[in-house]
Amino acid sequence: MTDQQDLLAAEHAAIFAYGVIGAHLTGAAAAAARNAEAAHRALRDALVLRLSSGGGTPTPTDPVYALPFPVTDQASALRLAIEVEEKTGAVWRSALASTSGKERETTLAALVDCAVRATRFRRTAGITPATVTFPGRPE
Amino acid sequence: MLRAATAVAGAAVTAPLAGCGLFDRDDPERPDPLDPLLDSTVRLVGRYDAAIAAQPELAERLTPLRDAHQAHAKALAQLIGRPASRLSPSPAPAGSSPPGGDAAATLAELRIAEKTARDEATAACLAAPADRTALLGSIVAARATHQEVLR
Repeated sequence: MTDQQDLLAAEHAAIFAYGVIGAHLTGAAAAAARNAEAAHRALRDALVLRLSSGGGTPTPTDPVYALPFPVTDQASALRLAIEVEEKTGAVWRSALASTSGKERETTLAALVDCAVRATRFRRTAGITPATVTFPGRPE
Repeated sequence: MLRAATAVAGAAVTAPLAGCGLFDRDDPERPDPLDPLLDSTVRLVGRYDAAIAAQPELAERLTPLRDAHQAHAKALAQLIGRPASRLSPSPAPAGSSPPGGDAAATLAELRIAEKTARDEATAACLAAPADRTALLGSIVAARATHQEVLR
């Protein structure tokens, strides 16, 4: 079962990755990466707030995360952005089962937003099809 | 005499209960809250088939979306115990995607259909028991990405 700390860990990693991704993009792709990073920061902030107000201690971010492959240019930056959105979406998807009411709505919205961003980055990267059949489902 | 009366009473009690669905868990016809979503998903496959038939130039773009809806229908049927015969789309109703219509109009129609379909799946996901949320969440997300690529 996925708990709030798992979600927070995924969002910390996503924010770190976008720091690297953004440095290798220009123009519209860079703007999309900035918007994506802002969205992940908002998700992180909401998780920190929820964990703190529930009496928990939000786990802080690690200073550095190992990237799955070296990011050296626009193509590898887009590939990482796609992977970040796929992985983060998968964590939100697995969190759905333990939610209800308003929390399920926000969890579902997070999954949907990750999937849509992944699709947009696939289009920017020229990957077809730009959609996957079951967003968030482990392959 | 006493024994016979008990047997009759027993039969009388059992019949209505079975009809109520309390003891027929494996009955393939027992309604499931996801039956309407399965049916509308199958109809959506039919809409894509009709659109692809009418505008073959859109086939490359639309086929992955059509196949995704087909895979969703299959997963839903499996989840709620429906036979594969429920997965065959009926012929598209007259008037939808007439052959020779323009591609932009077809894409716009499908985008609206995806929005409606996404809203329906969202409602189903929010109302679903925990063990169904992951599949329904993926279906909602897929439909959102379909709207995106139909732009």
